[in-house]
Amino acid sequence: MTRKNSRIITEIAPIDHRTVVSRRRLLGGMSALAVALTSPIWRSATVFGSDTNAKPLRRFIGVFSANGTIASEFFPAGSAPDTPLTADILGRILAPCAAHVAQMLVLKGVDMVSTVTDNLGQTTGMKPGGPHMKGPGGMLTGGSLLAGSFQGAGGPAGYADRISVDQYIANTIGTKSAFPSLEFGARVAGGHPLDTISYRGANEPNPPIDDPGQMYSRMFANSNLSQSQLTQLIADRQSVLDFVVGDIQSLETKLSADDKSRLDAHLSGIRTIEQQLTASSMSCTPPAKPGSYDSTDEATFAPICQVQMDLMLLAHICGLTNVSTFMFANADSWQYYPFAGVNEEHHGLSHSSDDDAVSVEKLIKINVWHGQQVNYMLDKLAATQESDGSKMLDNTLLLWGNELGVGNTHDYKNIPWLIAGGSSYFKMGRSLQFNDLPHNNLLVSILNAMGFDDTTFGIPGCCTGALPNLTA
Amino acid sequence: MTTSEPTARGEVQAWSLSRRAWRSFHCAWLLLGALHCTAVINGVSGSGSGDSTSSTGSGTGSGSTGSGSGTSTSGGALEDFSCDSSATPDPGPSPLRQLSRSQYLNTLQGLFKTVPDLSDALGTDTNYSTTFGLIQADIDQVQIGGFQAAAEAVAASVVANTDSLQAVAPCASGADQRGCAQSFVQNFGALAYRSPITDPDDIARHMAVYDAGAKVSHEHGIELLIRAMLQAPRFLYRFELGTSEKVGNNAVKLSPYEIAARLSYVIWDGPPDAALTSAAAANELSTKDQIDAQLTRMLADPKGLSFVQRFLQGWTQLASIDGLVKDATLYPEWSAQGSTLEASEKAQAQAFFDDLVKNQGGKLDSFLTSQTVFVNKDLASFYGSSSSDANFSPQSYPQASGVLSLPAMLSIQAKPDESWPIYRGKFVREELFCQDLPAPPPNVPKPPDVQPGVSTRERLTEHETDPTCASCHSMMDPIGFGFEAFDAIGRYRTSDGNQPVDTSGSISMSDVDGTFNGVIELGQKLASSETVRECVSRQWFRFTTSRYEQDMDGCSMKSIMDAFNAAGRSLNALPKAIVESNAFLYRRPIEVGQ
Repeated sequence: MTRKNSRIITEIAPIDHRTVVSRRRLLGGMSALAVALTSPIWRSATVFGSDTNAKPLRRFIGVFSANGTIASEFFPAGSAPDTPLTADILGRILAPCAAHVAQMLVLKGVDMVSTVTDNLGQTTGMKPGGPHMKGPGGMLTGGSLLAGSFQGAGGPAGYADRISVDQYIANTIGTKSAFPSLEFGARVAGGHPLDTISYRGANEPNPPIDDPGQMYSRMFANSNLSQSQLTQLIADRQSVLDFVVGDIQSLETKLSADDKSRLDAHLSGIRTIEQQLTASSMSCTPPAKPGSYDSTDEATFAPICQVQMDLMLLAHICGLTNVSTFMFANADSWQYYPFAGVNEEHHGLSHSSDDDAVSVEKLIKINVWHGQQVNYMLDKLAATQESDGSKMLDNTLLLWGNELGVGNTHDYKNIPWLIAGGSSYFKMGRSLQFNDLPHNNLLVSILNAMGFDDTTFGIPGCCTGALPNLTA
Repeated sequence: MTTSEPTARGEVQAWSLSRRAWRSFHCAWLLLGALHCTAVINGVSGSGSGDSTSSTGSGTGSGSTGSGSGTSTSGGALEDFSCDSSATPDPGPSPLRQLSRSQYLNTLQGLFKTVPDLSDALGTDTNYSTTFGLIQADIDQVQIGGFQAAAEAVAASVVANTDSLQAVAPCASGADQRGCAQSFVQNFGALAYRSPITDPDDIARHMAVYDAGAKVSHEHGIELLIRAMLQAPRFLYRFELGTSEKVGNNAVKLSPYEIAARLSYVIWDGPPDAALTSAAAANELSTKDQIDAQLTRMLADPKGLSFVQRFLQGWTQLASIDGLVKDATLYPEWSAQGSTLEASEKAQAQAFFDDLVKNQGGKLDSFLTSQTVFVNKDLASFYGSSSSDANFSPQSYPQASGVLSLPAMLSIQAKPDESWPIYRGKFVREELFCQDLPAPPPNVPKPPDVQPGVSTRERLTEHETDPTCASCHSMMDPIGFGFEAFDAIGRYRTSDGNQPVDTSGSISMSDVDGTFNGVIELGQKLASSETVRECVSRQWFRFTTSRYEQDMDGCSMKSIMDAFNAAGRSLNALPKAIVESNAFLYRRPIEVGQ
């Protein structure tokens, strides 16, 4: 693997958002890539500065990896409900993140019960979808899958039945950035409940893009334009979008309810694109376009993860978005991990018996690799300076979760949750154990940390309020 | 937003195997209960029922858009479809369809002489279409952004030089440019929207876009118009509003333009040509004879020649072979740098389908039993011959049995490192018998590990001794065992795990129950099965109407089955059969939604 070469961010340089320099001048003297590495430059007086009075946590990053974990190497040892998190008690999976223990919370005993719970909070076996399929739909929604006919992973089921917490957050803190949110992934093609953790609402999946080239184009489209060209483009697009909106509205009067609702979805997507127009006064100089990868090719998984993580971090650094998600492959992932020393398929491995030490070791290696990736994100966030001088990590809430706790039994208990980042609301630097609390409570805590005063999220019957003992 | 009946429209989405064909289905099928399996055969599989307690009040999939799921129509016998020929025609639902990726690109190709490379703008195609008859998901913002980028790229290429601009939007020197623009709106619009633009308000809305762009220049006004029209829902979706001309209580006639678009998108996977558009303009698409005449013309066109082939490729999930992973140690010839085996297997399948349609009368029997194989340099060793030619030539092979021995199908229906009878049996059960298997239980154990010296069959057989597993796997595995003479890349073999392969199998819960040995005997059984013949008609209906067959489709289904059987079970009879069906000729009157 040529991980190093695939990086966009090749050096960790503190990034100072207060720097305002003419973009053209910089472009004359440096390669676009170097500019992005060292100093994202606002197109004009930074809008970011006006955000300094915003809530302490103003970024959310949701991270997903698949097929459960090896609990003994994810959760620190011991059964105390509240243990200070130090590098020496980390298991192998979180050990790569040791530098950030002071800004981490490891949560044990937080279960994804919403995937198997009815509206009254009673456990039911009747929820649609196989075990791997339920997880991604429930992880950020606190809900479950609708009925449907998606097959292939123990289905059938449809998409999730409600909005996910990232989108709920984006609806408030994402309205001024070019993108309310951006959904990243690697080897997760979209088009299936297994591929989606982000939802705009019931049956409204917000699928990730797993092709770096496509994501790059989406993020940095037209960034080579001058201010006047950009103004023209915005005016042009607005005319076109107005026309499309008019077209939809005139058509909708002639359609059946079902067909109309499909155009409603189209209209809602158009509105998001309009937001990109009005918010595009904020941008930074893009790096060079990443090389092209066959995103369907097994062997490109690691380099694509690398580029996609860089693009996601740049999206935050450049102020393109405040909310993002990242999926390391789909739920039920069948990735091979030769770059981590495991040339075997993840899902198949995850069904190994607990006694199968060889397989367990391989699963640990896979999860250690994921721990390294999460640490890469944390490193970069910690190295980036906000306009008020704070570290970007201090203003970010990163949640790493999984569709299952344990792969071989499809256990939805003890999901390996890691919270990392902002320390102002949560009392970070701890390993906490709960007594089988629903993860809906965790989602409420996340909302609270992001400045929302919600007391419930997801299926009401399985939410009992914020997780206890999290706050400072 | 889309909270009204979200489930209804999501109901029949399913997951293409594309890019994922080698994923692990195995464990999902290990603990199926006997009850479920029996239910499938009775056509009442429980898999479609699902939960209706969600907060959004999801309904079941029987809405007016035809979201009936496959499970509701699975595995039924012929008498499931009754046709009362004296009853008024019922075309069933006609859900709104977004153009598929290929239809979108073909439509652009029809509008412009040259289309720039749009792969960057459009990104990965997530709108899988390899499974027939599935209700489409709502468009997402990534797709909308892709269409925006593509429209901008196309428009820019048109106005990039005078010649290309004049070709698309002619305007004589000195002519009134705004007048030229209005002509462009009507002429180009009629093609892009597959229907004339006549409403003055509609034209005015277009001209507002032109006027905004014309502040810069006439050319820019045209550029904006092209951008706008290529993002218009009328371009991106196929709207069928129908006419006021009733055909009984349940049907109205489609407009001639709507018929033209149905014909072209179904048969050609692309837009109507000038002849179709002229026929529509002259109202010459209203009788069956007129439509048949167009069909004959269209099938003779090169685009029409591939109609049945496209069906066969979709039915066999051939696209799933793209990116298929095989174990590099066991199958270096597949994984090696520069290997073209994967591409050759795909091309071989296409050559077989092509030959079937052109030279073997499109017969179902040949599809299942033909011993003609197509050989090139990559595949010669599969058949004990040699070739240095990348092109294919036919050869007779005594171990072959049509699609059942097609390496592409066998590779797709296998694991990276071994044959997998479960997949292959499941393929026969679901794709050839049209019997849906039920949902697996929520908790499943690890499948048996690969062990040296133990055959795949042995390991599965061992597992089948558990009666809980066996109850459902008896529907798949015993059929799949018949394929054991073919390894994970579809190559013939005589031993597995150092033991002679055992290709004895059996079929149950069908109209051709009994034992068989190997794919040749399996092919003969399948070719004699009424259920398989009926399944062809079902699949064809799903392919051409983009929805599942439902109760009201009895007459449409019967006409297709009758035509298929009357032609000696020829797939080549299917195109005419579908365009003459109620489901194709008409639509239900629209109840305008709120």
